[in-house]
Formats: sequence, C-alpha cells, structure tokens
Amino acid sequence: MASSAPADDTHFIAYKGSFRLFGLTLDDCIRVFFGGNAVVSIIVLALITYFLFREGSGFFGQNRDNLTVYRHAGLEYVDFIRTQQDDHAALTRYLSDLRVRQFTHYTMEKGLSLAQANAALASFDDFAGQYGDTVEPIRTLVSDLTEQATAIKEKFTVMEDKKVERTQLLAAGKEAEAAAVRIVPIDFVVELKPILGTLPAYREASAEFAKRLTAVLADAPAMPARELQTRMERFQQLNAEYMAGFPAVTRNLETWDYNKPVPVTQAFSSFLFGRQWLTASFWQDWYGVIPLVVGSIMVSLVALIIAVPLGVGSAIYINQIATPLEQKFIKPCIEFISAIPSVVLGFFGIAVLGQALRALSQVSWLSWVPGFPYSERLNILTAGCLLALIAVPTIFTLAEDALNNVPRAFKEASFALGATRLQTIIRIIVPASLSGIISAVLLGLGRVIGETMVVLLCAGNRIAIPDFTAGLAVITQPVHTMTGIIAQEMGEVVHGSIHYRALFVVGMLLFFLSLAINYAAQRIVRRYRISIG
Amino acid sequence: MDTLAPAPTLRPPSAPAAASSAPGSGPAPAAETLIEIDHVDFFYGAVQALHDISLSIQDKKVTAFIGPSGCGKSTLLRCFNRMNDLIDGTRIAKGSIKIRGIDIHRPDVDVIELRKRVGMVFQKSNPFPKSIYENITYGLKLQGVSNKARLDEVVEKSLRGAALWEEVKDRLHTSGLGLSGGQQQRLCIARAIAVEPEIILMDEPCSALDPVATAKVEELIQTLRTRFTIVIVTHNMQQAARCSDKTAFFYMGKLIEYADTRNIFMNPANPQTEAYVSGRFG
Amino acid sequence: MSAAATHPFQPQPSAARRSESAIFWLFRGATYFVLLCGAVVFLNIFVKGSRTVFQTQAPFVNTAFFTESPESLYVFQWQGQKMELGDKEFRAFKEKNPAAANVKAESYVYCAGGIFPCIVGTVLLVVGSMAIALTLGVSAAVYLNEYARDGTFIRFVRLAILNLAGVPSIVFGLFGFGMFVIFFGWNVSLLAGWFTLAFMVLPVVITASEESLKAVPKGFREGSLALGATKWQTIYKNVVPYALPGILTSSILGIARVAGETAPIMFTAAYVVRDKLPWQVDHFSDFFFQGVMALPYHIYVVSSKIPQNEYTERVQYGTAFVFLFIVALIATASIVLRSKLRNRYKW
Repeated sequence: MASSAPADDTHFIAYKGSFRLFGLTLDDCIRVFFGGNAVVSIIVLALITYFLFREGSGFFGQNRDNLTVYRHAGLEYVDFIRTQQDDHAALTRYLSDLRVRQFTHYTMEKGLSLAQANAALASFDDFAGQYGDTVEPIRTLVSDLTEQATAIKEKFTVMEDKKVERTQLLAAGKEAEAAAVRIVPIDFVVELKPILGTLPAYREASAEFAKRLTAVLADAPAMPARELQTRMERFQQLNAEYMAGFPAVTRNLETWDYNKPVPVTQAFSSFLFGRQWLTASFWQDWYGVIPLVVGSIMVSLVALIIAVPLGVGSAIYINQIATPLEQKFIKPCIEFISAIPSVVLGFFGIAVLGQALRALSQVSWLSWVPGFPYSERLNILTAGCLLALIAVPTIFTLAEDALNNVPRAFKEASFALGATRLQTIIRIIVPASLSGIISAVLLGLGRVIGETMVVLLCAGNRIAIPDFTAGLAVITQPVHTMTGIIAQEMGEVVHGSIHYRALFVVGMLLFFLSLAINYAAQRIVRRYRISIG
Repeated sequence: MDTLAPAPTLRPPSAPAAASSAPGSGPAPAAETLIEIDHVDFFYGAVQALHDISLSIQDKKVTAFIGPSGCGKSTLLRCFNRMNDLIDGTRIAKGSIKIRGIDIHRPDVDVIELRKRVGMVFQKSNPFPKSIYENITYGLKLQGVSNKARLDEVVEKSLRGAALWEEVKDRLHTSGLGLSGGQQQRLCIARAIAVEPEIILMDEPCSALDPVATAKVEELIQTLRTRFTIVIVTHNMQQAARCSDKTAFFYMGKLIEYADTRNIFMNPANPQTEAYVSGRFG
Repeated sequence: MSAAATHPFQPQPSAARRSESAIFWLFRGATYFVLLCGAVVFLNIFVKGSRTVFQTQAPFVNTAFFTESPESLYVFQWQGQKMELGDKEFRAFKEKNPAAANVKAESYVYCAGGIFPCIVGTVLLVVGSMAIALTLGVSAAVYLNEYARDGTFIRFVRLAILNLAGVPSIVFGLFGFGMFVIFFGWNVSLLAGWFTLAFMVLPVVITASEESLKAVPKGFREGSLALGATKWQTIYKNVVPYALPGILTSSILGIARVAGETAPIMFTAAYVVRDKLPWQVDHFSDFFFQGVMALPYHIYVVSSKIPQNEYTERVQYGTAFVFLFIVALIATASIVLRSKLRNRYKW
C-alpha cells in the first residue's frame, strides 16, 4: 500500500526510528520505564504486606505450641489454683484501701492525731491481718506446685533444644554427633502424676481456707461511718461471691485433662483478646495485645481531645477570621511545628513537660481535676499532650484546605442575607466542609496512632491495662503502646522466636489499622463532597 | 518497502519550497487538493462531534472554518495533525483524512513526522519560557540541527517571515514571555514556520488579541499564503472574509456549506449560513 | 451627632454580637496557643542547647562538639579539685601524672566528646534515601501525569500511593528489617536504611512532583508536539525543566521527614555507637553495608537508654539543638523557596 503511493508524497510515513527492544520503540521503552516506577508504590505496599505476613504468620502456630506446653506441663492446672490466690490478694488490696479511707476519716473529720487514728484502727488491722493469713494453706500448695510444673516445662524445653541441635547437626552432615545427642522423651502422664496427686490436698486446703475465711469475716469490725460501712458490706458480699466460686475451681481441677488439644482459634483469640503481654517470664509467656491496643487508643484519644479543638479552631480562625498579615505569618509557623522531629518532642517530654505537668498536678487548688495530684512523670497525659502537638499541624492543614474549598458564593449568599460572620461560619462554611474536617481528624488520628518515639519515651511503658475504675484519672497512669512495644523490644528479641513474630503481628495490626483509617478518611471525603459549580 | 528508504528530506521534491524563497517562480496550480476529508465521523467517547464531513482543502490557499462554538471546527482542525490523539477516548469512527493522498491515520504513519509537516498555532499564544531564539530553534534542534550558522539563519528568516524581526532582533536572547500578546502569537507562528511545514493550522489565533495585534497577524497570514497552505479556525466572520480564499461553515458537527469565501458571505446557498453570516445567530 | 446616631444602619448592640466577638477570641486564643506551644519547645531546646553548642570565648562555637566522637566522661577528685575529663583527655592526664593511675573516677557514658559521627550518618542517610526516592518518585509522577490514561490500573496506583502515605513509620521500620536486613541479608546497613526511608517518603515525593508537573501549562506540551517533538522530547525538554524547581522545593519537606524519623532506622541502619567513621572501610563495597550513628537515634539513646545524671543533660540538649536546627533549617528553606517559587512562575 505504501509502495503504491508516489515516493515523494510518503514523507511522513513510517520512519518510526530503527531502535527496537522486544519490539518496542524507544518511546515505548521510556514509557514502560516510567510506568514501572509508578508501579513501585503498589509493589512496596504489597511487599510490606508480604513481609509482615512472612515474619508474623509463624506466630500463631508457635503461640499454639506455647499454649500446648502450658497445658502439657501442668502450668494451666497450677494457674487455676493461683487465680484463687490472686483473687484473694485483690480482696486484700480492697481492705487496705478501706483502711486508708478510715484513716482519712479519723484524721480529717474526727480530728484525731496520727497516733490516735492508728490506735482506733487497731482492731481493723488485726482483722485485716487475719484475713490476709487465711490463704496460707493455698499459698503453700501453689508454691510447691509451681516448682514441679516449672521443672516439667524445663525438661520439655531442654528436649526441644536437643531436637533442634540434632536437626542442625544432621543438616551440617555430622551424623555421629547427631546420634550422640540424647533425647529423653517426656511422658507427661508420669511427670504430671505428682501434681495431679495433690488434688485431695487441695480439697483439704480449700475447705480449710473457706472455713478460716468464714470465721474471720464473721467478726468483722464495725465501721465508723455509714459510707465506710457500705463498703464493708460490699466487701462481705464480694467474699461471699468469691467463696461461692470455690467449687468451680475444684471442678476445673477435677475435669482438667493435660491432653485436651488447644484449638487453633485459641492461638488467635489469646493474641487478639489476651489481657496480658508478658515476655521473658520464668513461668509462662503471654502475648495478649489488649493492653497495647488500649494504651494506643487511650493516648490517641487524649491527643485528639486536645488537638481537634485546637486544630479545627485555628483552621477556622486562619481561614475565616484572621487578617491577611496573620495568615501569612501563622500558616508557615504551624507548618514549621510539623517539622519538629518526634524524637525531639519525646525528649522534650522527658526533660521538661513530664516534670512540669506533675508539678502542675500538685498545685493544691487544682486538686479537683481528676487524677491530680499524681506521681508518675511519664503517663498517658504527657504523651497525649505531645502527640496533640504532632496532630495539630496535620489537622490544621487539612481542615484549612477543606474550608478553602467551600465556594465563595456560599459565603457571599449568606452575607447578602444579613448573616453575621459567626453565623455564616457556623451555619454555612463549617457544615459545607464538614466531610473534609472529619477526614482531617481521621488522618490526624492515623498520624497519632502510628507515632512511635513520643510514646516510647513519654507514655511510661508499663504493660498493663490501665485501671478504668479510677474514672477520668485513668489518664494519669502509665501505659505501653503498639508502636512503642515494637520499637522497644524488636532490637532485643531472638530472630525467629515467638516473641519476634509476635512483634511482627503487632506491626501487621498497626498496618491494617492505618489502612482502615486511611480508607475511612477517603470514603468520607468522596461520599460527602459537595459538587461545586 | 520504500518507506524505509533514506531518511526523509525535510521537503518533498514536489513541494515548491524554492518558490517561497524566490518569489515570482509562479503560483501553484489553482485546484490542487492537499487535504482530502472523506466522510469523517468523529467521537469524543460516546459523543459524536463530527458528522460525515467531506471536504477538500487546496494547496497554497487560506481556508477558514467558521461556525458557532462547539460546532466541531477546532476538532476537525486538530485531526489534521492528530493532536486529538492526546485526548483520551477520541476516535475517528468512519471515513478518512488524506494528505497528499495518504491516510494520516494509517498505522504506519509516524505522527511525529506528520506533525513536522503540519504546523499548528494555538488559540492561546504559548511561547515556551525560553528565549526568543530558543523558541524558534526548538523544532530544529529536535530534528538534530545544531549548526549555529544555520540556526541563526533560520531564526532570522522565520522572524522576518512572521514580521517580528524588526521588533525583536535586539533581544533575541530574552524570554519569549516578555513579549506582548500579539508579539507572542507571531512568535508562535515564527516557531511553527521555522520547521518549514507544508500546512499551518491556526486555531483561533486572534481570539485573545486586541484589534491592532489582530490586524498584524492577519497581515502576516496574507504574506504567508504564498508559501504555506493555511487552515484557520475563527469566530470572527470579518476575519474569515478578509483573509481566506475558501470558507467552510460548520454547525452542530456538520459541514453546512463550503465554497469560495466571497460566495459564502455574499451569496450563501444555505439559509443557515446566511443567518449565521448576517449575525442572526451564533 | 444625635441625628447621625439614629440612622437605620447604626450598629445594634446585641447578644449575638457579643457572643460573636467572644467566640472569635476563643478561636484566636486556640491559634496562638498552638504557636505558643511550638515556641516553648523551640525556645527550651535552643536556650538549653546553646549552652553546649556555643561558648563564651572565640570561636564562640564549641567546635569539639561538632568534630569529635562521643566518649565517656570521667569525674574524679584530684588534689582537692573536681576534674571532669573526656576519655582521651583522661588517659593523657594519667600518663602525665603517674600518681593518678589509680585514681577513683566515676565514668559517665557518652557525656563527653561530640556528635560528629551522628551528623555524618544523618547526612549520608538523607542524601542516599532522597536520591532513591527522587528517582523513583519523579519517574512515577511523570508516568502518572504525562503518560497514564485513566483506568483501573492507575486508580490502583493512586490508591496505593494514598495508603502508603498513611502507613506508620515503625511499620516501614519492621518492613525494612524483615526485607532488607533479614531476607536480603544486608544486616544493619546504610543500604537498608536508604531503601526503608526512601519508600517511606515516596508518596510525599510523588505527590509533590505531580503537583509541579500539573502546574506546567498544557500549551507547552501541545506546542512542542505540534512542532514534531516526540512525547519523550516534549517531557524532557519542555515539561520537566519547568517542573523541576517545584519538585525539588516540595521534596525538601520530604528531606525534613527523612532526617527527622527515628523509628524506621532503629533496626535497619542505626548503631548505638560505632568507633569508625563511615569512610574508614576496607573495601569500597563495605561502605554500603555498614551501620551508622544518626542524630535522632542518638537523642533517643542518650535520653532513655543511659542512666540519667547531671552530665547527660549537656549532650542531650546539645544533640537536640543541632538536630532541631538542621531540620528547622531544611523546613524553613522549603517554606521560603516555595513562596518565592509561587511568585516567580506565573504563566
């Protein structure tokens, strides 16, 4: 076809250059190159997911083994009894709390001196002492059993190590040495016999314990005030419930079977809903993520409560109220704050803010604030305040953008109807940009929940669910967070161990949490975007 | 395939290039058809922008496309150098556009080569933020011309051709963005003619210019008509009347009438054309 | 006067007006409170840090702090005087005074010397990771803005970029550890840190580059294509050069982020302490596979990993000062350049 055309007229045909690579022209190659770079973001996201799964996925299997050993070695059996003992300890703490209250009552309201107050409390102290001693039979039993169970677990661990050693030797081709590694198989039935044999002893001890408790509780001292008396009655009631639980414990012990398989779901649920994160313990390691999640949420919540009014408020101010000069000056300043590295903020928290807040909490006329005064320098509040400073610029910038996107015509129409500026802002501008503001807050939350250094340095790093019975004062307690635990423990764990994998699973949780927050923010913006024009 | 034979010379032997530099070597034959548009249907996605357009544009003539906004005249113009390729979802569903008998949408047509032959001037003047000199030499440098003397020569010739030389010869190395609107548009014309195209497409070149600058550009079109085939899209009927040889009137994506400019304005065959040129709508 | 005061448009005092001004003051208060908090952090660190970084005698800057490695501080009683000497000085002192050989000195780790290796490490990390991020990010942006046509694939890419931007930095750290340090076997190294940080700022760079490319008018592309330029010629000669200042300026913010992050380098690139400087390597290739000290990690180490005492504050605030100063400088540069750029390019 081309050849049929006169030669002098074909000047723009098919001179696409001679360069060819896999049948692509140079321009195509360039295009493919750039396209390849664009795919990198997808690849990175996929790789993150893959590597988190790769390192973390082994966790659940290992956790199941971990739980199986816990059962096989009889640790679970012992923990039934230990729980009974721990519950008693909790009740004892209730009594000491009661003593403090009585003491305050005597000194503050009755005006007694310290010595007099102590004298007045003598009978109560006697009672509390007797109450504390009642658990003795159980305590002795538990401490014996603990030793036995630990010994079984130890044996098992040694055997597992030997197995690993042999496999490694075999892999290295050292057959002779491998054969020399002696593995003593453990017969759990035999090993557990002495532990299980203590059941009659337990029954006896438990009965004895119940008898003593009843005896002690029968002559509980009277309380000096009505409010305190109610507490004492509550205490009696708690004890009644506690003792009513004894038969259940016995039944648990009787029906306990070391060979009962640990269900797969338990490996997951003990992670997701586990209330204990306990590692490198002599007794049993627990990988329950709840304390960390609660810590992260509490810290983020405090940060957002502070940051949302400040961030959104200043965005409204800058966008709607401020003079041009203020706008020009303040906007870069707030952006500047976002450039402060988080580790510097964390350091500031340790060096200055923690002290300052604690000093503030000890000012007497502020004692009405829940949780004030407190003594832990590093706690939810300290970390939350610093995280708020991180979240404010994010929220400010995005909310300001959202306000900026409200068409001018809306505002003008409102003014033309005689609305004041405040009315226009509240009724027109903020509702019109609400979706943007909400997504700004969500992205601020994402930023805060993923923040590491500040919480690592300032949240106090106590791995426990904060005590919510304290009410609002809970914010003055130290916590640990998901990000913090990774940063703190990752450097110290053995590669491939269950602890190592657990940290990756926490990372996975964080990753999906951040994706979900991001997704929600995008969804909100897209869904409620006002069509302009 | 002789299409792969020696690299193309810039100028096809048949085109009377020499004629432009040596005026007086006689005008080209009056009725030679350069662009042949044959029953073209054009779509933006699902929207049909051109309906069955057939039209032949003659060599070394100025052809004006007129019509109300959105009638498809610019779309057709952008088909001639395949600028519509840049817009997603555009396609020619039916028909063909041939330049010198070659269908420019044939797969073996190199769009780059096509665009070298078919220059374009845009509605909004778009000098690059480079010096005037670099603006003019941009196209040549793309083709690998690096001889300084040759570039200088082309710059002067193109600027003279665009009637801009006297105004800018002392500041060739200052930014093209520093020129006035009319000068910028003439710079863009100079840039287009620097690569010696056969056809220059002008997409409402004066719509953003004041009357004085418009007059200058129109004057320029008059001088360029001897060397180039010019297709101009315009809103301005007086402009079409003043500077074109033939005029095509489009309405709603259809070609209503195509004739000598004089006939269109003095003696339109179609009542719609008459209504439009007499200012009753559009 | 009284006639003027009775016109119908005179201001009417009302509750609405009073509450309006009260609420405006509330908003103003919120804004300035934020600024105040920022200022307090800055001032605290600048004032206390300047005690370490500056000195009263010429050259007024504590050069040793910038040029030496961290070392232990020894404090002891000598002839009735309290001496505070760094590790090297202490050894020299003992050689000079043989009687001091057995002097009982308290040692405080990291409290003497300077932070030179940390500065070097941070600079290396930033330069390397930004080089990678800019190459990948600008190319990706060119593809998205110049080549790509809307479709499922592009939607996925954009979604990925958006989501990548929200991934916490510690997760990047974990990923870098799992992939580069463990899987690729690079150990704790510059290379692993570079890639981890580069991937972390990739969304920032891509978004910034795309904005800048979008700002280049369409006319430049059409004009160039109409002259017979290929797509690549157009991009390379007539689009990227005009977008480049914008790309670089916005990417400076990325630099500030890279320099400021601690979590991603904790397990991928940072060492608590390293005696050798990065260029003291046997092989050229070893350069890439060595860990480095870095300013943010050093701050973390000195503020929480070592026992606190009266001497640690010096190095803590000094390091924080230098670090904050560097990051603030980068951020200021970015903000100033950006406002300049806005005024310069108006096509």
